[in-house]
Amino acid sequence: MGITRRDFLKYTGLASASAGVAGVPYFKSVMAMGTKPEKEATYVNTFCEICFWNCGAVAKVVDGKVVKLEGQPGNPASKGKLCARGNAGMGSLYDPDRLKTPMLNVGKRGEPKWKKVSWDEALTFIAGKMAKIKETYGPEAVSLISHGTGGSFWKELLYAYGSHNYTAPSFAQCRGPRDIGYLVTFGAAPGSPEQIDMGNSKFIVLIGSHLGENAHNSQVQDFVDGISKGAKLLVVDPRFSIAAGKANWWLPIRPGTDMALLLAWINVIVNEELYDREYIGKYAMGLNELKAEVAQYTPEWAAQETDIPAATIVATAREMARYKPGVVIHPGRHTAWYGDDTQRGRAMAILTALLGAWGREGGNFFPTKEKGTIAPYPNIPALPEPEKPNLTGSWPYALEATTTAMRATTISGDPYPVKGWLVYGSNIMKTMPNQKETIEALRKLDLVVVVDIMPFEHIDWADVVLPEATYLERYDDIKVGKGKSLMYAIRQPVVQPMFESKPSWWIVKELSRKMGLEAYFPWKDMEENIKTRLEAAGVSFEELKKKGTIGFPDTAKPFITADNEPEFGTDSGKIELYSKALKDKGFDPVPKYTRPEMPPSGYFRLIYGRSPLHTFSRTTNNQWLAELYGENVLWLSARKAQSLGLKNGEYVVLENQDGAKSNKIKVKATERIREDCVYMVHGFGNRSKDLTRAYNKGADDQSLITRYAVDPLMGGTGMRVNFVKIVKEA
Amino acid sequence: MPRYAMVIDQRRCVACMACVVACKRENDVPEEHFRTRVVEVIEGEFPKLRMELRSELCNHCDNAPCVSNCPTGASHHSEDGTVQINRTKCVGCKACVAACPYNARYMDPEVGFADKCTFCEHRLKEGKEPACVATCIGKSRIFGDLDDPKSNVSMILKEHDAHVLLKEAGTEPKVYYIKKFGKAV
Amino acid sequence: MEITITGANALTYPHMHVWDWRIAVYLFLGGITAGLLVMSAIANLRKSKMVEADKACCVKGPMLAPFILAVGMFFIMLDVERKFNSFWFFLSFQPLSPMSWGAWGVGLIIPVSFLYGLSVVPAEMKGWLRFDVLKKLSDRLNPHMRILAKINFGLGIFLGIYTGILLSAFVARPLWNSSVLPVLFLTSALSTGAALAIILAKRSAVKLFFTKIDIWLLSAEIVAIVLFFYGHYTSTAPQRASIMPFFSFSSEYFWYGTSILLISILLPLALVMKLMEVKEEHGENLSQSALMKMKLSAVMVLIGGFIIRLAFVYAGQLSSLGGGVAGL
Ligand SMILES: Nc1nc2c(c(=O)[nH]1)N[C@H]1C(S)=C(S)[C@@H](COP(=O)(O)OP(=O)(O)OC[C@H]3O[C@@H](n4cnc5c(=O)[nH]c(N)nc54)[C@H](O)[C@@H]3O)O[C@H]1N2
Ligand SMILES: Nc1nc2c(c(=O)[nH]1)N[C@H]1C(S)=C(S)[C@@H](COP(=O)(O)OP(=O)(O)OC[C@H]3O[C@@H](n4cnc5c(=O)[nH]c(N)nc54)[C@H](O)[C@@H]3O)O[C@H]1N2
Ligand code: SF4
Ligand code: SF4
Ligand code: SF4
Ligand code: SF4
Ligand code: SF4
Ligand SMILES: [Mo]
Repeated sequence: MGITRRDFLKYTGLASASAGVAGVPYFKSVMAMGTKPEKEATYVNTFCEICFWNCGAVAKVVDGKVVKLEGQPGNPASKGKLCARGNAGMGSLYDPDRLKTPMLNVGKRGEPKWKKVSWDEALTFIAGKMAKIKETYGPEAVSLISHGTGGSFWKELLYAYGSHNYTAPSFAQCRGPRDIGYLVTFGAAPGSPEQIDMGNSKFIVLIGSHLGENAHNSQVQDFVDGISKGAKLLVVDPRFSIAAGKANWWLPIRPGTDMALLLAWINVIVNEELYDREYIGKYAMGLNELKAEVAQYTPEWAAQETDIPAATIVATAREMARYKPGVVIHPGRHTAWYGDDTQRGRAMAILTALLGAWGREGGNFFPTKEKGTIAPYPNIPALPEPEKPNLTGSWPYALEATTTAMRATTISGDPYPVKGWLVYGSNIMKTMPNQKETIEALRKLDLVVVVDIMPFEHIDWADVVLPEATYLERYDDIKVGKGKSLMYAIRQPVVQPMFESKPSWWIVKELSRKMGLEAYFPWKDMEENIKTRLEAAGVSFEELKKKGTIGFPDTAKPFITADNEPEFGTDSGKIELYSKALKDKGFDPVPKYTRPEMPPSGYFRLIYGRSPLHTFSRTTNNQWLAELYGENVLWLSARKAQSLGLKNGEYVVLENQDGAKSNKIKVKATERIREDCVYMVHGFGNRSKDLTRAYNKGADDQSLITRYAVDPLMGGTGMRVNFVKIVKEA
Repeated sequence: MPRYAMVIDQRRCVACMACVVACKRENDVPEEHFRTRVVEVIEGEFPKLRMELRSELCNHCDNAPCVSNCPTGASHHSEDGTVQINRTKCVGCKACVAACPYNARYMDPEVGFADKCTFCEHRLKEGKEPACVATCIGKSRIFGDLDDPKSNVSMILKEHDAHVLLKEAGTEPKVYYIKKFGKAV
Repeated sequence: MEITITGANALTYPHMHVWDWRIAVYLFLGGITAGLLVMSAIANLRKSKMVEADKACCVKGPMLAPFILAVGMFFIMLDVERKFNSFWFFLSFQPLSPMSWGAWGVGLIIPVSFLYGLSVVPAEMKGWLRFDVLKKLSDRLNPHMRILAKINFGLGIFLGIYTGILLSAFVARPLWNSSVLPVLFLTSALSTGAALAIILAKRSAVKLFFTKIDIWLLSAEIVAIVLFFYGHYTSTAPQRASIMPFFSFSSEYFWYGTSILLISILLPLALVMKLMEVKEEHGENLSQSALMKMKLSAVMVLIGGFIIRLAFVYAGQLSSLGGGVAGL
């Protein structure tokens, strides 16, 4: 039984055709020695929700239990593979600490006494409170914080109720800044998944972006493909990340000074005329203004700011220009760093433009222009128009209400009172900076509803907790993917919901009835909903179930060609190296550098990132992930550790500039980080005792992020502006 | 009969740990026990550093000391050249654990037999690749038949200078490593 | 160098620990048995003025040997994880596995040494045997004492070497992986066997006889220990690293340092005491103090032997070809 590569390919082809056949029995071969009897396995398609890459997955079910998860070969986010977290997805399904029933808090907020209640009771309570808030303050007084696929139902409910205060941490705490930076420059955001052609790139630049640790599945696959095909790699990171370990150039930059480096690169490329002249001439405007502005940002000057030698700055600028236009300047994803983040995103966009990489093979590609044919469910009444503007704060580029503006308004009551929070799939204690402010806001509310699957610490602040079924137990909306080409993917229940948990579609539909909004949810159930819409679009429901993902490869037009000329959604219709729109709104039309505050002596800048084994806090209690990475550690320069008398593995406590103290955390004394900062993985130090595995393990970066730098353009919250000192007693 | 082997392209490994978790779930490996692991080695001093990423598993050695030291024949070579454990014959003496220079084995905490990577024998029978290979995000793990000159492992081994771990132990491993360091400069 | 391992097993990381004192006790008791068989065979085969020809002068040793070995066997059974599966030891023979040799060897030595034990029982002690069958068997075996002694001499040497080979066969564990180890364990087996024989023997002549042999054995053992460490020190990096626990004297390795210290005090001291014992003039009956001294030095040899087993069983598991890390 020789297995050749061809056989494997055959298998892959076969799998995409038949492995997903839900309900088709498949015989598992005998275990090594046949102690276990043969059991029938079924394979069901769905997509992963352990993070928001939403990889297509195939679940293997034996005896009604999900025993294995694998990537769907035909799905562009997974390409047949799952990351470590996706592989451990059944850990959230079978977590014994899961939320099991709806609960009412009959104690105080923050000091809850839980009473198990029926769904009917819980939803009646919520409907009553929401009716009262609407009556007293108007519908906009209720807002939603949502992160995750099931949030779409809650958003619909919110809109039907009359509020547009829908917020997501993925904007102000995550990719909002870079999206705006690119939007201002190209008239389009770099996309999520990021529309970058790393697999075919000649030169890849990562600024922060710690791919490998940041385990966004297909993106990491593309990254590895790119560098193995010979792409040069440049990594800018104060820490020797996994990606830095693969880099041709690792620039251990002084944290917070990336803008200086970017401007100096632009300076070299403009002055030495290394940019793509034809491209810039044809598609861009403002080169002269750009040139004039960056004249001050010489490599010598930047060397002082960034701690990177001027010669290296010049050499790397020339090097990336050498490979233009097949260069990926990774736009970053979590970019809420220092408060100047939108402008940093703009500088990256400008650099991308100069290299002619936007719309070019090996650079940034265009997503499919195909809109897709899936329409909303028929006969849904028009949504009410909100009477008051939503909570975008004072920021002209906040495209949506932001979590932090919403929080500030809740405290201030300005411009109008906010009295109810619906929290879907977001651990707001971990997600937003300055926990004190979050608590202050929570205390002002008349209603806090948490829809979650796990008892993380934020549920303590809820009046009602609703246990959602996990992604392996529910239908969600159809996923419409717009990468190079169009794709539809399905989430369907792999197993039935455990305990009394319910999918969001069900919860929202029931709640809508109690709120008199049932007209907005006229479908019978989600299966009927999906089926109806798919069939109206000419896509077979059964086929999608069987395949998991249906792609339309011929919808791709990723690069500029004679018959695919780019359109730029900017005011000028061109790439704006100089932005008049920004100037009109009182911002710098070309990015400028402002030196961030540096840590006082004895303090380190606190920076943070991802473990490939965890998604924020949500996986910290997952059996198969916690056993591999059960608590985070404090990366500290080995030299500093020595001078502080700290040993590897020793527990310490951190104290920030405002006196906030962390949980205890183990020191990782390492050569892999600069001396002026310390690093930890975000999501640990959970304070909920109901988490058997995660309780009290490691430290919470958020507990030390008591201040944040607000981005003046779009209200992003820069979170790398806190300084900590190490307190030995632990 | 095939002769299975794995090639690990270290330059393609990104320490994402997908293999480690996939193996655990595929083989229902008991809590706190692992059949494969990822080792990160850092050499040098800031900022002149070098990183080696190396995933490790049983090498299915041709000259396997775990087999020769097993008193009952429980540890044995299969016809396909892989090293397997017959659980019924295993007395739990742990000689094989001590014998393996690669520390590739563990003892099942409940029943007490020795256990380790099987190269996902059961999946091979279904025509699938090993679980760790199938999910390898970096495509760093490559699996195939050494006896088939056209198999991907044979081709890669022809093209690259492969090395094995602890060659000096004389175990003749069938897990080969190529491109030890990711760094080109 | 910084090493981070994700997915390491506690059984083998940061270092292996599959075996504990139970294996050390097994090896120690196996060694004593080996020594007893060899020593008693020498004594019993020697043309002696002390007893009539073809009669054993050394009785208790052979009689005890199978029982000591059985106790040792009990300890290894304590260590084996699947005790009810242990019949598999005897359903196959694995020529390359020292443990298989050991299982079959011990399985053979226990009955054969038992027969030897019966064959040395003199008429006046037959009462000890209690059962008629045994008495009869003993009567039948008495004439074959010499041949049984010869066989058991061979088995004793085999057993003594085996206790060393069991460990030295592991290429993976550089501390153990040395051809000096079986020699060291054999000399230690013989010297502990002689020590026990000294304690057991009634007659001063026999005691002195074993003391003389033990002087040679002890000397050989001490030379073997020195050679062992010298060999490792001058060998490959992993072998050199493997003996470091014994000489680093850091708190982490406190017990290893202590063990080497104890061994290097106990064994030479016992040797000196024995040298003095044989120089003294002894009558037919040993003086109370001479008896005490002999017992004391014998006990020192036994303790030394046990420490050697313990120290080697534990320290060997700290060593690895990869230089002490599970990830190589
Ligand atoms: N495994 C895993 N993967 C994930 C996620 C997860 O939870 N788990 N989450 C996903 C999500 S939502 C996001 S937004 C992304 C986030 O992942 P990224 O977008 O990659 O996040 P960054 O903040 O860019 O990267 C963190 C890196 O920035 C470095 N860094 C810190 N300060 C500075 C600085 O001042 N300058 C520079 N140049 N580098 C700095 C840190 O050392 C660290 O290596 O990850 C995604 N992928
Ligand atoms: N200090 C600091 N703050 C950060 C970041 C950081 O790196 N450091 N990262 C920022 C970024 S990039 C992002 S994107 C955000 C992420 O912010 P969040 O997405 O809020 O992150 P989590 O902490 O994982 O909280 C997720 C919550 O959703 C619940 N949950 C999981 N699955 C489901 C489900 O299927 N249904 C429901 N109803 N609930 C579910 C979990 O139990 C958990 O309570 O955080 C941002 N905030
Ligand atoms: S990247 Fe990993 S966790 Fe995220 S959706 Fe894909 S498999 Fe799931
Ligand atoms: S790696 Fe270890 S367990 Fe695997 S075959 Fe080789 S010696 Fe045996
Ligand atoms: S533990 Fe089992 S497999 Fe290992 S050597 Fe002993 S009997 Fe053989
Ligand atoms: S081949 Fe199978 S058993 Fe071996 S490490 Fe990979 S997944 Fe685990
Ligand atoms: S899955 Fe592949 S890339 Fe990821 S850690 Fe394992 S071997 Fe490396
Ligand atoms: Mo994010």
